[in-house]
Amino acid sequence: MFSAVTPLPGRTLLGPPSAEPPTFARTGSDFADRSQPFRLGERSFSRQYAHLYATRLLCMRPRLEQQARLRWGDGVLLRKLCQLQEINEEHNLVPQPSLAKYVDPSDELVLEDELQRIKLTGSIEASRLVTGAVLAVYGHEQEDGKFLVEEHCFAHLPPQLPWQGPSTDRFVLLASGLGLGSGSGESLLGTQLLVDAVTGQLGAEGQQSCAALISRVLLAGNLLSQSTQSRDSLHKAKYLTKKTQAASVEAVKMLDEILLQLCSSVPVDVMPGEFDPTNYTLPQQPLHRCMLPLSSAYPTLQLVTNPYQADMDGVRFLGTSGQNISDIFKYSSMDDYLEILEWTLLAGHISPTAPDTLGCYPFYNSDPFILTDCPHVYFCGNAPKFQSKLLTGEDGQRVLLVAVPAFSATQTACLVNLRDLSCQPISFSVFGAEDDSDMEVGQ
Amino acid sequence: MEDELYLENIDEFVTDQNRIVTYKWLSYTLGVHVNQAKQMLYDYVERKRKENSGAQLHVTYLVAGNLIQNGHTCHKVAVVREDKLEAMKSKLATVTSVHVYSIQKALLKDSGPLYNTDYDIIKANLHNCSKFSAIRCADAVPRTPAEVAQARTLARSSSQTPSDTSAVSTPPLNGHGPTAAKQSSQPPKGIMGMFAAKAASKAQDANKEPKAKEAPSVSAASSKPSAKGNIMNNFFGKAAMNKLKVNSVPGQPKEEKEAVKTSVPATEPESSPNSIVEKPGRKTEPAKIQQKDKKSKMKRMDKSDNEEEREPENQKKKRKRIKQLESDSSDEEDVPASPTLEEEKAPSPPPLVPALKAELEPASTEASAGGKKRKRKRVLKSKMFVDEEEGCMVTEKVYESESCTDSEDDFAKTKPPAVPKQPALPVKKEPKEERKNQKKGAATASRANKQISIMGFCQKK
Repeated sequence: MFSAVTPLPGRTLLGPPSAEPPTFARTGSDFADRSQPFRLGERSFSRQYAHLYATRLLCMRPRLEQQARLRWGDGVLLRKLCQLQEINEEHNLVPQPSLAKYVDPSDELVLEDELQRIKLTGSIEASRLVTGAVLAVYGHEQEDGKFLVEEHCFAHLPPQLPWQGPSTDRFVLLASGLGLGSGSGESLLGTQLLVDAVTGQLGAEGQQSCAALISRVLLAGNLLSQSTQSRDSLHKAKYLTKKTQAASVEAVKMLDEILLQLCSSVPVDVMPGEFDPTNYTLPQQPLHRCMLPLSSAYPTLQLVTNPYQADMDGVRFLGTSGQNISDIFKYSSMDDYLEILEWTLLAGHISPTAPDTLGCYPFYNSDPFILTDCPHVYFCGNAPKFQSKLLTGEDGQRVLLVAVPAFSATQTACLVNLRDLSCQPISFSVFGAEDDSDMEVGQ
Repeated sequence: MEDELYLENIDEFVTDQNRIVTYKWLSYTLGVHVNQAKQMLYDYVERKRKENSGAQLHVTYLVAGNLIQNGHTCHKVAVVREDKLEAMKSKLATVTSVHVYSIQKALLKDSGPLYNTDYDIIKANLHNCSKFSAIRCADAVPRTPAEVAQARTLARSSSQTPSDTSAVSTPPLNGHGPTAAKQSSQPPKGIMGMFAAKAASKAQDANKEPKAKEAPSVSAASSKPSAKGNIMNNFFGKAAMNKLKVNSVPGQPKEEKEAVKTSVPATEPESSPNSIVEKPGRKTEPAKIQQKDKKSKMKRMDKSDNEEEREPENQKKKRKRIKQLESDSSDEEDVPASPTLEEEKAPSPPPLVPALKAELEPASTEASAGGKKRKRKRVLKSKMFVDEEEGCMVTEKVYESESCTDSEDDFAKTKPPAVPKQPALPVKKEPKEERKNQKKGAATASRANKQISIMGFCQKK
């Protein structure tokens, strides 16, 4: 664990200045970026999304067949695989309010493949499944044209890459939702404390030597706060908004300074999120380095895509900034981010709701969101609270699932130990005007 | 004693200047390691309190340790006031560090001022913010501007060529970025080849310039006349073609001309390279002018980068434009909607593209309305060719520039000043204003055209 180091005896910082204090060298990190499938080069939006679904079906079919055969024997005739979900809503002309969840008991499940669709009934819960998931169902067709489901199964975890992790303690810090530019200064000192802790300024020597073991920092999205997204300038008259600057400009400057401090001490990967200045559709492309002039001078800064995949010290990381999980949260009855994360892993697809309810690029020949290798660490950013779980797959895969909380709300980040795939939250607190709330640990 | 010096300093800061002295602030101000600064602060507090127990001194501490929460251990780092220190320490299962965070005369209600102090001092020391830190990272060495420029051209040329060929051969399907980095640039085929040759030569020139580190204005000036010359040349018809061939990489244009799609009628390569070449001239001009106006922190680096970026980028943009000109959909819709080919490109070219397009057309009508001897017309012609991929015949309306004669001192002069634009928000009005000007120009030109034709009609009668 990060804090398993006991303070070195005799070297306390509560004392007169000692002789030259030690400096620790940051542990080197062996890094390989594997997010090529998520990078878009030339883009053409003149295609329909049907290709994406067709590709998805095609790619996932073999694995599903295999799973189905495993579970239900060889005599099963496989017919259909893709799945849709219909939401029965009344036709109103009133603009729909934005709900937290768009699930209704009257939702129906429809299974669809390249040629046809059929309604599903039986032991399958409509509210636990989302549009775009590919699964296999076992049952038979009834007289009324509906398919009675007895069992269903997903593609399950793909095979995992061999383990090449480090043998000594090495940490990766996962943080997300810094939420800069929000106008409220409360989380700013927390962010500063985070940066200081990672760069080795904070803490006693024991803590600093532990911080030197952090080989990488990963910022998973929402570096800017939602309040920078105001679209007032669109609605106001031009003469009123001529001289106003977008709120994100100031926020990005702040981000640049923070990243500069981090980059001068540790390699950083920056993933864009929902409120960051990059494209809206998944896969989000990296932030442009012209926005970060100070920090992009450092080679330690890596601007990466969302979703992101990389090998850090031999450990395969895969994760998103949370849009996929929060979208599934909205359209299913699953409430727990970690549960949804696990579900996407079992379903074999990072974001099944794209392109239906989540913006997505119209891919043609491939669907990069299909999980082909099982990662060692699978994370999602901007979760409401910190959660982590070590999942073991059927073939012995070990995956650490991490729901990284939004820092602006919880002042908590995650430290993943690459040696044993364990995860520990690290939270920062400052004292405020209210004395009592100090006592509360950042929840 | 030397030790006393820092004590005096701290005393001065806290009591006389009434500052909030955080360990980080002290570390930067006195130029000492952060841990030493923390110890200094502690020492000061102790001594001051021994001497004078009624001292007006408030201290905040940093406490870090493990906390057992909901069954799992959580690492906690907290800044607490002195009176809450013991309480916090007792809450933690294990305490890994305790040290002084800051000293100040007044009691702090909240931690806002602490943040402000640190923020100011960090801002003042951004270039060496890890100097006094306890951790050194060997990799974190800022790149020099030359290295950055090199890295970028490398990335640009390697990532560009695969996407170039893919752009020409297959329509962008997956939109996946280039997977292999190729060092050598393959000569792109077809009409695009004309661009590549032109732009490649320009890029080579541009490459040399930043490496020699000439002032951007000089480079802009030097390229300006050459670009102007190109525009002039365009209106000389075949004479221009020959000149262009000489200008661009020898041999390559011919190769590429041969490699032009066989389905494209022979007349097109003749006239369209004129328009194509005109566009690179036009584009590099505004690009260079733009760099003069651009203000960025690393001025030179960015400018030199931009120069290099512009060329291959313009090349790409031109390619895209030609492709769209040939496609069925309307020009204006496509061009603004066309996604940037590579994310890393500066946002200026997209506004550049539609603006330039808008300029080109009215400009040529303006020129023709000039009523001078030699005219350059843009004529809408239908081109028919067989599309091999789809296996069909495609009839497209293409604007062709027929160069009859040449007029263009005014033309060339008016264009460059009108062109400079910046992607910055406040200046976005300029392209719109320019477009308005262009439209006005076009309007007057068309009006002039109409007048002439009406007169001609009367005269004929």
